Amino acid sequence: MKLSRPSIRPSRIALHAVMILLVVWSVTPFVWTAQTSIKFTRDVASKTPVLWGYETTANAYRNFWLDSDDVNMWGVLAFVLVVAAIAAALGLIGRRARHGWPWFLGATAVICVALWRFPRFWEANDEYDFLVNSVVVTLLTMLISLSIGLLAGYGLARYTGISGAVILIVALGFRALPRTAFVLPYFFGAKEIDEWLTSTGVGSWNFPLIDFPGIDTLQVLDTRLAIVLALVAVNQPFTIWMLRSFFIEVPKEMEEAAMMDGATRLQAFRKVIIPIMWPAIIATGLFTMLLAYNEYLFVRVLAPTEWTLPVAIVSLTGGESSRTITEAAAASVSITLPIVIVIILFQKHLVRGLGAGAVKG
Amino acid sequence: MNRRTFWWFTIPSVIVMLALMVFPLITTVWLGFQKLLLRDLNNPEWVGWDNYRDVLSDPEFWAAVQFTLVFVVVTVPASMIFGLAVALLLDRIGRGRAIYMAALLLPFIVTPVVGTLIYEDLFERGGLVSWLWEVFTDDAFAVSASNVKVLIVVQYIWYVMPFAMITFFAGLQTLPEERVEAAALDGAGFWRNLWHVTLPHLRLLVVFVGLISVMDAYRVYDSVFVWTGNRFTEAHTLAVYNVRIATAFDIGRLGKGNAIAVLTVIGIFVVLIPFLWRSYRDQIAERT
Repeated sequence: MKLSRPSIRPSRIALHAVMILLVVWSVTPFVWTAQTSIKFTRDVASKTPVLWGYETTANAYRNFWLDSDDVNMWGVLAFVLVVAAIAAALGLIGRRARHGWPWFLGATAVICVALWRFPRFWEANDEYDFLVNSVVVTLLTMLISLSIGLLAGYGLARYTGISGAVILIVALGFRALPRTAFVLPYFFGAKEIDEWLTSTGVGSWNFPLIDFPGIDTLQVLDTRLAIVLALVAVNQPFTIWMLRSFFIEVPKEMEEAAMMDGATRLQAFRKVIIPIMWPAIIATGLFTMLLAYNEYLFVRVLAPTEWTLPVAIVSLTGGESSRTITEAAAASVSITLPIVIVIILFQKHLVRGLGAGAVKG
Repeated sequence: MNRRTFWWFTIPSVIVMLALMVFPLITTVWLGFQKLLLRDLNNPEWVGWDNYRDVLSDPEFWAAVQFTLVFVVVTVPASMIFGLAVALLLDRIGRGRAIYMAALLLPFIVTPVVGTLIYEDLFERGGLVSWLWEVFTDDAFAVSASNVKVLIVVQYIWYVMPFAMITFFAGLQTLPEERVEAAALDGAGFWRNLWHVTLPHLRLLVVFVGLISVMDAYRVYDSVFVWTGNRFTEAHTLAVYNVRIATAFDIGRLGKGNAIAVLTVIGIFVVLIPFLWRSYRDQIAERT
């Protein structure tokens, strides 16, 4: 019963009124931008804002994403909606099913295939490559971060020696360091490696079996790999702390029983512990995903041309481009939509994740 | 778990942290002693403490330090108090809590540079706030050197408040009902209840949120960069100033930039060492 908690009892209406004010404070910029993105430039430029009754248009989205001016945006919207619906359906089944991962993998595959086919249906702009970069960087960062983070998190939760404590505290210290302490040596180091690759000729080797599409020379700077490595590294302290706090909740007896039956530690970890860790993996994965998707500084410094979406959007609004304010708004909406969908689908995991990291401090 | 198994599990992560965090940090310190320009990366030249002398006598550095400190001192308590208040309100909401929560979380989840851009849009010519300002004061509102610092602070509170809110909210869910009921029976009002029951319960969380918020506010880059760019360099925080010095087109001074980075790191560790020491002691205590 929650009856006694409020000692001052504001009436429910007042409570909801305050909450609605708070919601207005937090979402006004989003609503405003969404409106701007579907207005004609003349309405945006008018001195008194046109708040309603304006004509809508998808021009801004077309200009941002597509090369050609006479594409029917309804077709694009239908394509996006169909893909989203299929992915969402697979995801929903995955949440209900006992083994969720094949369904989530299917949903990911559908999105990847759609991304790959899209530019064959419609001529896409450069920005489309930045979207692909964003997706690749985000997925790879999540995959690598979680794989090594799960192992380390488990080890740190179960081992009682002093070296475990030292690693944890050093990681906590790294969590506090500013990006600026890393980005300059990364840049310098990548440059050095590239020069070594060029001078020894390794960079121009042909790898007959591995064909990197669009890459003739091997290099580090200005590649997606550089961004992924940097993100995995700075995210590692957070990942191991968070996963460790989840692993500690799992009773030791679980894997001990399996090991009594003859399983090795690694088998017990894979077959017994991982299956019950999915909520924790999803929560940690969500934060890793947001971190990679939202990254700006590393991409700007380490990848002067292989941008991801945040860098593309900031450069859009800078003085050097003549593109309009509506286009920047369309870009902002496009980059925010996936995040909104993620919040709606995974709100519980997000909240639990923040809480879990917190409760144990 | 024995030592061998532990290392097998932990070694990939440790290698990543050694190669991509410890080693770069050593490089940072080393580069801080070099004269090194962005356009000529091949000829580092050892100059000893020159970069540090250069930084410490740069008025822009001290301006950045000052603004960073003000920024931390204002945004951290403000977002925490605001977050706690909203968490207490959310805790009383029955129906519709998930919707409120999703809407309130949005600023924190959205890409920071995009969040800042769209917030800034409200204040630019033709924006909502700018227009309201004109209606009430008859003056056009413009983002300028005199008000940009205030806007940066307000927007950052807008961005970061949900973190405190969600964490405190999670903490409130574990507050035992009996404690609150007992206090209510003793006739405790809202404020006494908050002070003697709720806050003591959230004590550890307050420390946790406070520390994380201090770390994040101290190294803020994205939002300040978007607000200021190269227009309002006097409103740069340490991180933005640092990157500007190191990567400014054609005259990027990488050596000086690294010296600033080292000073920044020392700055945060002065605050952090006691806390790290305490966590270390806790960890050791847990193990014996």
